[in-house]
Amino acid sequence: MERERDLTDYRDRLLNAVKAGTRRSACGTSDSIQVFVNQRRVGLLDGKGVEATLQVQTDVRIDSVQLRSEDGVLLGGLFAPEYGFRTSRIPLLRETIELRVQNYAQGGSVSAVSFPAPSFWHRARRALVGVADSTAPRPVAFAGSGMRAIAFTQVLLAVALVGLVADRTTGWMTPVRPPLPVTQTEAPWAAPLAEVTKLGQQLVELSRMQAKAVETIQTQQQGMAQLQRTMAKLSSTQETVASSVLTVKQEMEQRRKGAGRDADRVTRVIMSKAHNAQEQLEAEIHSLTVANDRLSNELSQLDQNNQELKKRLKSAGVDVSKATIPDREKPIVAQQSDTAQLP
Amino acid sequence: MTPIGMEQISGREQTMQDCTAALGRLEQVVSITEEFDRVVSQALPILLDRATNSTKRFLRETGQWGDDVAHEKFALRWGAEYLEQFLVAGRSEVPCRPLFLLDSIVAKQHSRPEPFYYHPDLLTPLGRLIDGLVSRAAISRDALIALYHHCFGLGPGQVITVLGLTGPAGQRIYKNFKRWRDSGWQRTMDDMGITESDAQDLCSQLQRHHQQSNNEAERIIRIAQAHYRKSEPDHYPCLSRRQWEEMFLEGYSSDYRIWHLALCLDCFTAAWDLGFRGATAIEKPRVEFHVRP
Repeated sequence: MERERDLTDYRDRLLNAVKAGTRRSACGTSDSIQVFVNQRRVGLLDGKGVEATLQVQTDVRIDSVQLRSEDGVLLGGLFAPEYGFRTSRIPLLRETIELRVQNYAQGGSVSAVSFPAPSFWHRARRALVGVADSTAPRPVAFAGSGMRAIAFTQVLLAVALVGLVADRTTGWMTPVRPPLPVTQTEAPWAAPLAEVTKLGQQLVELSRMQAKAVETIQTQQQGMAQLQRTMAKLSSTQETVASSVLTVKQEMEQRRKGAGRDADRVTRVIMSKAHNAQEQLEAEIHSLTVANDRLSNELSQLDQNNQELKKRLKSAGVDVSKATIPDREKPIVAQQSDTAQLP
Repeated sequence: MTPIGMEQISGREQTMQDCTAALGRLEQVVSITEEFDRVVSQALPILLDRATNSTKRFLRETGQWGDDVAHEKFALRWGAEYLEQFLVAGRSEVPCRPLFLLDSIVAKQHSRPEPFYYHPDLLTPLGRLIDGLVSRAAISRDALIALYHHCFGLGPGQVITVLGLTGPAGQRIYKNFKRWRDSGWQRTMDDMGITESDAQDLCSQLQRHHQQSNNEAERIIRIAQAHYRKSEPDHYPCLSRRQWEEMFLEGYSSDYRIWHLALCLDCFTAAWDLGFRGATAIEKPRVEFHVRP
């Protein structure tokens, strides 16, 4: 029971915190705003009443962008698209933050611009300046120029009304003059009525202009949306084409590398075979040389033996020839000795 | 059946019918942001429960669930976190079906390698408090500065000296301290589900077992810092004593000093006396955990 109550209390506290939203922040208008990309702090927007910009480039794809006050309260943010860009205007207490996030094939970028909220007179002045400058070609947003046109129309309406009221007030405040003799055409109400009618007509015309301006803005916004869609489509097509080109290049490279590898392998095989054959040949030559040497030795030895044998044979021949003569004499001697021994 | 019982049953039926109707609206396409805000604001409890149940399911399926209050609060906390992100950034997804958009946001978070930091030691009362303080420091400068007080008991003047800050940067520290004391600490306690009696218990525990509790706090602070330091800018890694010395002497990168030294006990210990410019012999700091601001 205790556990259930504890959990219910906690759940209620969290719900209240979520409902309170940005009101939970205790930060003032002079405090900076932290910018987080993929839940990592990347910088500060430190406007303090003037326009401030923060540009961030990342190597990784961007998932989310968050704006937080110095006390950590989530003020705004957006999820980044898979490819292409997305913008969002986040109105805060005293400023508006314009976020623009874009993802490429590799990495992404974030731009955060803080615009201080202008006062009424500032807005009116900007509207007038904007209309005055509208003749000069400038790369401004369509929606922005539309808003200026509306503001200008509102200012004109306000000026017209102020003029009307001032005219009436002046009429009432002015001391009554003695009646002058006038003709029927110079009746006292004739002139103001004409002016009122004229002003009325002007007001109608201004309202018509305003309606037309609103229509134009809507058309321009539709055009912008279509343009954005087309750009996103174009961007994704471009990405696809780029990735296809990359794939083809990679395949070509792989094939080239593959062909090169085959040739290398064949060459290596042939070379190794040739090397082996060469080694075998060298070994055989070596063994032949060795055998040749051995044979030469043996031959020389045989030659020497032969020489010796020849010498021996010669000497033996000489001995034999020497020995033949005494031998012929010897038997006689023997015969002589034998005869001597016989009595 | 008594009339009270009948009333209760009819009340429950009515709630069920309302819930079904709200779910039906959330499943339909909303075309403009005003419609998104209206439909979503009428169904916040339903959306919170849905995000919480998804988180519970994720914890169960990844073997991180325990059937206790700490886990229930953990799931509720992350459910509320997802809901807050959905409310703020979901407007940029219009036209959409809000219910399915919330489901996709939660699923996308859970598909990440580490959608949130789950550690059993961060589910104890002390762990939850430290987790709340350090996780808050990752998104709030007030909480970041307050870490110097909660971990080491430093006041604003000491923080300015230790970090070697000058001029407006120093003035901001006083502002951060004030705002943290006024509302930041209490909001963090509320967000983490730490009640007044929990805070009281922790204070008495720190008083009774001072050294043991501080050792335990240091261990948990290191665990939490290691995770949440990832949220600081890419180019804020740990530095050597010599590099810190150079930075303090030259006086650049005050933001680096403020961020990194609050979230890294080792670097804080290494760079501790650099802000004093050798004026006094200062002992190395030790964790002296403070529950209250």
